[in-house]
This record gives sequence, C-alpha cells and structure tokens, in this order.
Amino acid sequence: MQIEIRDLRKVYPGGVVGLHGLNLTIPSGLYGLLGPNGSGKTTLMRILATLLEPTSGEARVGGFDVHKDKSAVRRMLGYMPQEFGFYPNLTAYETLDYFALLCQVTDKADRERRIEVALAQVNLAQLAGRKVGTFSGGMKQRLGIAQALLNDPKVLIVDEPTSGLDPEERIRLRNLWAELAGDRVIILSTHIVADLAASAEQLAILHKGKLLFAGRPAELLSPLRGQTWIIDIDEEELSTVRNEYFVTGVFRSAIGMQVRVIEEKMSHPKGYLAEPTMDDAYVHIMRREAGAAANDLN
Amino acid sequence: MPGLSSGRERAFSATQALATMGLTWREYQLNCRTPAFWALAAGGAGLAVWRASMTGATAALAAYHVWRFVVTGVAVLAVLIGSASAGRDKRDASSELVLAKPLGSSAHLVTARFLGVWLSLVTISGIMLGAAAIRQVIGGTPWHLGAYANAFVRCLAPLALATCLGFSLTAIFANSLAGAVGALYWLAIPLVNAHVPRAADMTPTQHWPAPALLTAGLLMLTAVVYGRAIKGSAQSRARLGWAAAVLIAAGLGAAFDIAYRGEDTLSARDPVLSAIAAQRLLPEQRAPGFWALDGRHRIVGLGDFDGRPIALAFWGPGDPESARVVALLQQAALKYKNQGLASIAVCLDSDSAAAGPFAAEAGPDVTMVWDRGIHYGDGDRWSNSPLGLAYDVRAVPTVFLLDEHRRLFSRVEPHAIMMLDSELAKLVAAR
Repeated sequence: MQIEIRDLRKVYPGGVVGLHGLNLTIPSGLYGLLGPNGSGKTTLMRILATLLEPTSGEARVGGFDVHKDKSAVRRMLGYMPQEFGFYPNLTAYETLDYFALLCQVTDKADRERRIEVALAQVNLAQLAGRKVGTFSGGMKQRLGIAQALLNDPKVLIVDEPTSGLDPEERIRLRNLWAELAGDRVIILSTHIVADLAASAEQLAILHKGKLLFAGRPAELLSPLRGQTWIIDIDEEELSTVRNEYFVTGVFRSAIGMQVRVIEEKMSHPKGYLAEPTMDDAYVHIMRREAGAAANDLN
Repeated sequence: MPGLSSGRERAFSATQALATMGLTWREYQLNCRTPAFWALAAGGAGLAVWRASMTGATAALAAYHVWRFVVTGVAVLAVLIGSASAGRDKRDASSELVLAKPLGSSAHLVTARFLGVWLSLVTISGIMLGAAAIRQVIGGTPWHLGAYANAFVRCLAPLALATCLGFSLTAIFANSLAGAVGALYWLAIPLVNAHVPRAADMTPTQHWPAPALLTAGLLMLTAVVYGRAIKGSAQSRARLGWAAAVLIAAGLGAAFDIAYRGEDTLSARDPVLSAIAAQRLLPEQRAPGFWALDGRHRIVGLGDFDGRPIALAFWGPGDPESARVVALLQQAALKYKNQGLASIAVCLDSDSAAAGPFAAEAGPDVTMVWDRGIHYGDGDRWSNSPLGLAYDVRAVPTVFLLDEHRRLFSRVEPHAIMMLDSELAKLVAAR
C-alpha cells in the first residue's frame, strides 16, 4: 500500500495557491506532515480524503485515483479532519454505530466488535453510553480518532490529532500510531514536531504549498550533526546571542538559560556540541526558507 | 465473468440496503431526541385530546380533526424539521466526517435521512391519534380502531411531501433558510383561491400519486445534487438525474390533472357532474338524481331508493355540528325501518376517504356517499359541489325529506335540525 502524488496542484477561487505541483510518494508506515498553518497540509489531506478536487495533477491511493475512484478510495480510508463535530444527541456508541453503517459494516455483531475495539483504543470504553453533547474537546478528539479506525482502514489520515489532548493522552496516541502502523499508511499532520519525533518513519515538510523536505527523520537531522550547539547563558545575554547565532530554541535550566543554536563553528566560550533534534531541524529549514523568500523579494 | 460480477453487485446492493435501514433507525433516533420533537408531540397530543373532548365527538370525528391538524400544522413543522435535518451536518460541523465515508455522499444516506425525519413525524401523528383514542375510551365514547387507522394512513403521503420539501430544498440550495422559505411558500399556496392552489393541495387521499411521485423525484434530485460521487460514477448520477426528472414531471402532471379537474366552472368538469349540477329542486317535481361514491367506492344512485321515503342529509366532517346529523340519521333509520325509510348522508369534503370512517361508525343503516364533484373542501364547499348546487345547499347540515315519489316533502335547515325527528314522523305518516 502506498500513495503516489504527481504534480498535484490546487488553486482556490480567488487565485490563492494551496499546492504548487507537489510530487510525493508515501509508503506504508507512519508518515508525518509538518508545516506551519497555511502550508498546504490540510489541502493535501482533504484531496487525499476525496473531499477536495485538485486543480491539476493526480493522487493515487493504493492505485485508485482520488478524483475518479472516490468510492474505492473511501472504502480503504479513515479520516479525521482538523475541525469537526458530532451529533450531540447520540451517545458515543451510537455515533460510532452511525459511522460504521456509513462504512457499510452491516453485520451487527461485527459492528459491535469494531466499535468496542475502537473505543478501547482511544480509551473511551467507559463513556460509550454517554451522549456526545456532554463530551469535552479532548473526548471528542478521541472519538474522532475512533470513527476513523472503524473500517480498519488501509490509509489513515489524521489532521492535528493531538490538539486539545492532555499530555498523557498525547503519549497514549503516539503509541497507538506506532501500534497501528504496519502495512497501512498513516498520515499524521501536525505543527507539533514532538508528535512525530518519536514515531514517524518518514516525513514531509511543507511551506506555502511547496515541499521543502521529504524523507526519513535521520536524513533531516544528519546535515545538522556537528553544527548543533547548546550555549549556557545568563538571561541578560539572550538578545546578544539571538543577534549573533541561528537560535532554534531557548530553555530555562537550574543554572540559568540554555540556548540551542545551529552554526558551523562555535565562538561562544560556553557553547558545546549537542545532538540535533527534530525541532532544531524544523526551525532551521523553515528559517532558511523564509530567508530565501526574503532574498527573492530583494 | 459476468455472472460473478452481477452476483457481487447484488451482494453490494443488499449491503447498502441494510446500511440504509440501520442509518434510518439512527436518523429516527436523532430526530426523536430533539426538544422540537417532544414539544410537537406534547402539543399535538394536547390538541388531539381537546378535540376528542368536544361535545358529540365520535371516534371518526376526532380522528378526522387530528388528521386535519397533521396535514396542516404538523406538515408546516415537517418542512422545518426536514430542513433542519438536511442542514444538520453543516450545523454540527460533521460534514467532512460523513462525506469521507463510503456512503457519505450517496443516495442511501439521503434516503435514510428523509425516512428518519418522516418516520419521526409519522410517530407524532400516531401519538396524536393515540391520545385522541385514549381520551375517547376514558370518556366512554365507543372505540373505533378503523377511524384512527384510516386517519393515520391518510397522514403518510402529505407528511412525506412536506418533509421532503423542507429536506430536499435545503439540501439542494445548501442553505436551511432558503430551503425552509421555499418549502413553506409551496405549502402556503393552498391559502390562495386559484387553480394552482388546488394542484398544491395534496392532502386529499385521492391525490396521493402527485405527492408520492414528487417526493420520490425530489429525493432523487437531492441525491444527485448532494451525492457528488454516487458509486464514483457520473453515469449512475446521470441515470438518477433522468429518473428524478421523469418522476418530477409525472408528479407535476398529476398535480396539473388535479388543478384541471378542480376547475371552478362546473362545465369544465366531468359532463355527468355538470348534468347533476344543472338540475334544480322544484316543488312537486322529482328531486335531482345523482350517482355518487359510497364508503367502499361503489356507485350509488338516488334511483336505487325509488318507492321509499328518503332522508337526504348534506354534511361535512370539517363542521363538527354537521357531523352529528349522521348519528341522527342512524337513529331515524332504525326507528323508521319498518316504514322503509332510506337514510342517505352526502359528505361534502374534498377528501374521498373522509366519509369512510363515518360510514363504518354509522353502520349499514345509513348510506354514506361522497360528492366526487368536490375538489376544494375549505370555505363554501357546498357551492362548489354539483349536488350542493342541484339541491341549493347553503349551509350544513341540511336534510331534505323526499317522499316515495322522490318529491320534496320538507327541508330541514341547520338551525332546525333538532326538529328532524318530528319532520320524519310526518313524512312516514303521510305515506
């Protein structure tokens, strides 16, 4: 199972370009989509989920064209959008039953089994009989994931799945993605790098509808190895360091402050080498792109 | 492997049909759990109990008036509830979750949603009729299941059309307000006295082909518009579109036929009805003859009662006081059975099925007929009835007593209806 994207372009009415001729191959396993708001992540996901038609180019899910074979794609798809709601008068169980029926799971016993499994996976089994209208944002988020799992999808697309969840639930979900990924494709879109750092086998970084990077996390990190530093500083020194170095993160420690920077050579006396993280790589690639754009303008 | 392919397709269709049934049940639950449903059920039941409590309200009369409530008031609310159901995904932000599912943009979901709303409104009709029936039983009025069943069945088609209008127009326009306004406008047309309103008034039972065809056609059109990828095939969408066009055209044709046959000018109607209306009731001459339909849709003629004194009563179920004349006729038929009195009640109502339960309630001693020339029952229905014109009926109930030579013996007007028995006594004594 894989997803092939060729020259995919989306121009919205009014001329806003959502995607600039994207080329991407998404293999089985957990695939991360990173990018700031407005980078085209949601546009790409909605096209793959058959909800948005591309202006040109094609996207194939398991060999089926998302535009021409919508039904076939939907049968193998689990999708959780970024923003969604449920019918407040139905219980969690009834809601999942409704969505299972939309997936054409008509055998009652089979439906019950799938619903119970999905509820257990998202830790909602105890609340199966409670009306969804009384659910908190986090509970709804988890129910959104449960409905996407009902048809045992070959392709699972989840847009910002951890927003609104407490830290424990976020960790639980990260583990769930790892469990679910196997011969299925899981596309996980987020702007929280930590969600992907632990489990994404491959990832793509989008910015303003363009692909900045696609590959394994190690490939993203390797150019930064030997160039990532930590500098111990006093608080007063922060603005000076910011002006002098390419800062990717600032942290408070017991002895003062620590600043993560990316530089080929370190001139600061309190600077020492560190292992690059996904956050470093992400900030670096984004900042570089912004710089290139500024140069283009000049 | 054509055999295998068709076998797979059949299995696929069976799966979709099962899914549609399951979704219908969930949609029904969704509608029944809203405050609007319970408010409507409680209010409707209260109205039904009030009507059943009125003096002289028999089971048939109570059921008739509940039917009127349903096909007018509940139908208007059905438009709004249907509209709300079609706009639910947008309101609850669940569109994307639904659309990404295999049946999310299919005709099956459209059907299930429509059926869910319709069944919830049919349930409200059942609750209202049940409340009226319970009130009647508690009050000691004879129980008559047929009257309630008849009224219940007659609610189905008008409610289906009203629900479908709200549901389909909202789905097609993708806007609840536009859908509801469009549908309410359609329903409001009968309030205007013209030909178009007659076509739009699809509440009478005999008009069922028009609402049924339009409902089916509108639902198919909704599926075409809403379901942008039914089975992922533009060909099947086009087929569904053509089927919708044919059904809507047939429904509009049936509505046009209603309008044409409901023309005010009697000469434009059936020549037999025109001939009946052209007769006049004159002293010392035979009373106007007629053929009309009885409760079982058999043709009954006044000539069938030649040689017998006749009590010919004009009444309409829309007027509860006039409905009481049926009971008086029944008593007279029993009292003067040996004198050969024939009791005939002419129902002046636009609905051919309205007289049925009253006929069943009155029993075999009263011949109940429906003036099939009537097409628009509200207002001065007697002046729109060929029989009413022939007998110069100005108000209901009016009873004409005819002697065995079918000449007018006496005319009992509404204000003197309690004198009917004494007039009948004179009629049989004069024989």
